[in-house]
Amino acid sequence: MMRRKYGGEEADVVIVGAGAAGGVLARELAEAGMRVVVLEAGPLRDPQKDFASDELSMQRLGWQDTRIVDGGDPLTLGHNNCGRGVGGGTVHFTGVFLRFHDADFKAKSIDGVADDWPIGYEDLEPYYARNEKEIAVSGPKHFPWGNFRGPYPYPEREPLSPNAYMFMNGCEKLGIRTAVAPLAILSAPFEGRPPCINRGFCNQGCMPDAKFSTLIAHIPKAIRAGAEVLADCMVTRIIAGKDGWVKGVEFVHDGKTHKQTAKIVIVSAFAVETPRLLLNSADSRFPDGLANSSGMVGRSIMVHSSYDVYARFDEEIRLYKGTPVLATTQDFYRTDPRNGFVRGYTLHAHGARPVEFANGVSKALGGPVWGPRLRRTLLDYNLYGRVTMVGEVLPNPENRVTLAGEKDEYGLPRAKVTFTYGDNDRKLIDHAVAKMGAILEAAGGKVEYVVPDTAHMMGGCRMGNDPETSVVNSYGQSHDIPNLFVCDASIFVTSGAGNPTNTVMALALRTADYIKEQAKKLAFRG
Amino acid sequence: MAAEGRYPSFNVLDERDAWDEHTRSIVLSRLEPSPLRFLTAEEEAIAGRICALLVDDDTPEVIRYVVSHIDRTLRESPGEGQRKAGVPEAKALIRSGLKAAERWAKAEYGLSFAKLDRAAQERLLQLISAGSAGPPDVWRSVPKQELFDKFRKLTVEAYCSHPAVWSAIGYAGPAYPRGYVRTQLGQLDPWEAKAET
Repeated sequence: MMRRKYGGEEADVVIVGAGAAGGVLARELAEAGMRVVVLEAGPLRDPQKDFASDELSMQRLGWQDTRIVDGGDPLTLGHNNCGRGVGGGTVHFTGVFLRFHDADFKAKSIDGVADDWPIGYEDLEPYYARNEKEIAVSGPKHFPWGNFRGPYPYPEREPLSPNAYMFMNGCEKLGIRTAVAPLAILSAPFEGRPPCINRGFCNQGCMPDAKFSTLIAHIPKAIRAGAEVLADCMVTRIIAGKDGWVKGVEFVHDGKTHKQTAKIVIVSAFAVETPRLLLNSADSRFPDGLANSSGMVGRSIMVHSSYDVYARFDEEIRLYKGTPVLATTQDFYRTDPRNGFVRGYTLHAHGARPVEFANGVSKALGGPVWGPRLRRTLLDYNLYGRVTMVGEVLPNPENRVTLAGEKDEYGLPRAKVTFTYGDNDRKLIDHAVAKMGAILEAAGGKVEYVVPDTAHMMGGCRMGNDPETSVVNSYGQSHDIPNLFVCDASIFVTSGAGNPTNTVMALALRTADYIKEQAKKLAFRG
Repeated sequence: MAAEGRYPSFNVLDERDAWDEHTRSIVLSRLEPSPLRFLTAEEEAIAGRICALLVDDDTPEVIRYVVSHIDRTLRESPGEGQRKAGVPEAKALIRSGLKAAERWAKAEYGLSFAKLDRAAQERLLQLISAGSAGPPDVWRSVPKQELFDKFRKLTVEAYCSHPAVWSAIGYAGPAYPRGYVRTQLGQLDPWEAKAET
């Protein structure tokens, strides 16, 4: 049985999901004196006891519940994107902590594709800076791309990994600029946490606490400020009242359904679960799901194209050593009129441990690779180097989350995720794959495997100024239901071409400021 | 496998005392036989051959672990992450695939799949991976490439989690609490595998 703090009484705010956004919101709103309840579907883990230096057993950090996938390019989910447990995806993310560029907010005005965001880089700039300072992001003194050129709050990581040095060598030969990646991983002690020891298991949960997650950074502060954070509580429905405002949520803990009422509901459950919950909360007043008068809930989901290119070298690289991503280039980030496509991509030197390596290689293009060829490749594991792209994928309303006929353990329809790359996406991927190959070969390798993959997920509840074509405003506030907010990557308008966590957390800080201000004005009815 | 690799005298388990306790208990548990509770003995024999062919390694204790991982995943995994529309749940997919493999073997060769020679077994895997296994009355209800992909993923993730394989490929593995210190190209920490060929 759970011990409750705000059980049986109305909270000011209930937050669904304790991930990147939920963690930030919980801390901000609790420190502002609001009565906050956070409901997280997965467990509360102790990094020392529950994490391990092991890929297979730590797959559980990902959201493993089955989603139905279809479309021309059915997605791989699970550990690829969303987390399950307090800290959400930040527990298993690689720690890459990039800002979007000004051009990321203006795809339509610059390139005539997708849509502009209702906000620009300058609106998020102060929040990016706050995030980076609050978690002591390590990075270069000078970052060569985008609007922020450094210096980062903490010095860049040193030493790097052998794969990162290989990548930098290859890029240098081709005249491609590189930088040490800005990382939410400490390069020196901070708030009682030690610097990174290059253990390499960022995606399996950081045992030394050198990598930031909201599990170890924001959530403990939220709890100290009075927030109630409940793990193993799956929210199954948002309750809407007769007046069209939301009243709270229903959630399941240990097989029993509970209710938490609140003045404000914030959904921060990731680009699949957020639209799924809104759709599953349909009632007679909102038959198409909550906040869905535009019909855009679940639509225009995006991933990042994340192809890996593996090359074999004569000398050992040893992909397992060190933090997975330590070196990066954004030389191909912006639209280049010489290309046959718009927008761009980031390239990372990207380490891999054996499970990830073998799983990737065995499903490489031209595969499947198995039997003697797979065996020879595994025996040469230490000779391989890898580069991975983070490519922009343009929004398409037909790429979407809907409800499947099949039900889950709570009796709720599973999410169905439909995805197909567009022409521009494919041309961009081809360009990036060729570029990654060129870098690896310039470094002395021979390209052997190209592995199609995706990472991250954005969209599905896009923001906008027009209630006809968007779900929420730029603060994540539903156009339809003023006390219902969505705050996570699902409100992105476009995907950008870099890792999204800093942007998710910047949006969360901005939403928190807005809610604090609105609460002061008593705009929310009690 | 180790004998063919570049690190014949490396044994990653020699470093087990340097690992944190949680990791150590997880890795060492893979060396212990664990009883199967989902697959039948007949299914186990077929699955074992399929796994061994996929990774081209029939080291008994490694394949036994791989099959036990498949058994445990089918029994108690919280989910599959994703499943393509129209494809049966993993339990049903694997079970119907094993059954079809057995029927195919009996129809084509008059023998159990596990008793076929390697070339015949490989032939079926090739056909499944290409989606062209027949005859239709045996294979119609089995999504063949999905079956292959499920076996591929479950097999390689378990295979590459066995410490004998870590040793063979020269993977120094868990590194907490000590971390990696010498990380320039060509540098090794003292406990890492040194290439001998």
